[in-house]
Amino acid sequence: MKRVLFIILGFFLILPMVSPAFAGGPPPKDVMKGIFLSVDDSARTAILKKSGSEETVELVLGSGMSPGDVRINKKVMVSLDKSAGENVIKSIDIMFMDMTVNKIIALLVIGLIGGLLSGFIGSGGAFVLTPAMMSLGVPGAVAVASNMCHKFPKAMVGAYKRYKYGQADIKLGLVMASTAIIGVQIGIKIQKYILNHFGNAGSNLYVSFVFMVVLVLVGGYVLYDAYKLAKGGEEGNKVSRLALRLQNINLPPMMYFKVAKVRISAWITIPVGLFTGMLAATIAVGGFIGVPGMIYIVGASAVVASATELIIAFIMGAWGSVQWGLSGLIDIRLTLLILAGSLIGVQLGALGTTYVKDYMIKLVMASTMLIVAVSRGAKIPGYLADLNLLAPLEPQVTHVLGQVSFWALVTALASAGLIITVAMMRGMAQAKLETRREEIVSHG
Amino acid sequence: MDSKLTKFDRNMSAVSFAEAGEFETAAEFLAETPAAAKKAEPAAMRKPYAGMVIFGALSLSGYVALIANQKLVNEIFTMGGWHAVYPVVTALIFSFVHGAFASNLLSVLGIEAKK
Repeated sequence: MKRVLFIILGFFLILPMVSPAFAGGPPPKDVMKGIFLSVDDSARTAILKKSGSEETVELVLGSGMSPGDVRINKKVMVSLDKSAGENVIKSIDIMFMDMTVNKIIALLVIGLIGGLLSGFIGSGGAFVLTPAMMSLGVPGAVAVASNMCHKFPKAMVGAYKRYKYGQADIKLGLVMASTAIIGVQIGIKIQKYILNHFGNAGSNLYVSFVFMVVLVLVGGYVLYDAYKLAKGGEEGNKVSRLALRLQNINLPPMMYFKVAKVRISAWITIPVGLFTGMLAATIAVGGFIGVPGMIYIVGASAVVASATELIIAFIMGAWGSVQWGLSGLIDIRLTLLILAGSLIGVQLGALGTTYVKDYMIKLVMASTMLIVAVSRGAKIPGYLADLNLLAPLEPQVTHVLGQVSFWALVTALASAGLIITVAMMRGMAQAKLETRREEIVSHG
Repeated sequence: MDSKLTKFDRNMSAVSFAEAGEFETAAEFLAETPAAAKKAEPAAMRKPYAGMVIFGALSLSGYVALIANQKLVNEIFTMGGWHAVYPVVTALIFSFVHGAFASNLLSVLGIEAKK
């Protein structure tokens, strides 16, 4: 245990030397925070007092803005349109939405189900929490930041619980996380290249396309595997043929993972981590790649892989939170309200894994991935139209597609929550029956 | 009465195992003192009511304090720079307190991990 602590400590000491890495992309640069002091209707300018200093700047309203959009004496986040010139406002968002009882309840419920999913399959929640917060009126960057800051303490609690159940492989988690952080850098480089060459719409299309393809292929395979295991009635600890073949490659340095019960070459483990990080930077849900990667390529069981993913989420989330915190975008009220529900959910999900068979975790993961893929797919026509590859969409069609996208996310979350709850209750009832049977036997 | 019954049960179980030829199991049944069995039982059955109430109260008062002072808190927490420490550390502290409450709550509700 002492050695593990040293490894963790050393890792955190090295971390700052690696240039900033973020899961889900870096905080935006062309953003200014502060309070508008006055607005000049005729000159189309506004005076902003920057937060944290006494400095004021004069900003010019962009072409799509009207002086009425400028809210005086409220903390705002101003996105600048650097292509239109220095200090030109693209949009203004109120940074802190007003809390109402309905919004608080909504945040508690989403947090609870998101946490349940996270404790069970190792990742999840983020893909629905961010859009859900945005639909409650939170600016995008604040939603991402607040979600990131809630993710790492939640993952920590989940990882601790699952470590206690003997499911989490700390060494595998550290290796995956450190390589994933490097992968994130590569992913961001690719993103930037695409953004520079094809613009915002091109970048959106690329992200959605990769998201769709990866989720459909990986989710489909996981579903097929879960179906096969469920039908065969096996315990579900069979290691994939690919993983067995890879484990036989004796290319030093070899790594041994005690909890996962895997001995495999570092030359195989490291690319899995890199690729996870690369995709995490692109689609913002690294766990959807990390968990299947650990199952089918490294050869860990679904229980160990999903538990280990929580360690990775903790490390990457903590690092990301510091970065977003440095740009002052975390709304702590949102973070803590989601945590209120998700800390209960994550522990419930974690202990749920002790009652179900391995294929159940795969089934929940696959169905979540596939429904989330639908949500992203519904957005592709819009991006195609933005790039002039498709005739412009009717506003009605855009609206319907937007609704489909959002409700698919809600369905993904709700169905996963339902499957986990039912599976867990069944498992508990069965366990109770077994103990009673044992008692009867022992009492002769 | 209860202990006598257990002892009776124990003896009968030992007899049935001995009859079945499982002498070692029978010996195990007889060796176990009722006192040890009695000691183990309450530890497993005891529910952490106190922990749940204490951590619950701590957590709830934290949330009330936060919502009551939300304007001030948001102003300080989003200044950026080294102020990043505030949200990160607050999230950690809340997760310890509220996490402990959640853990105790599940135990009180009787939802435990499979042994």
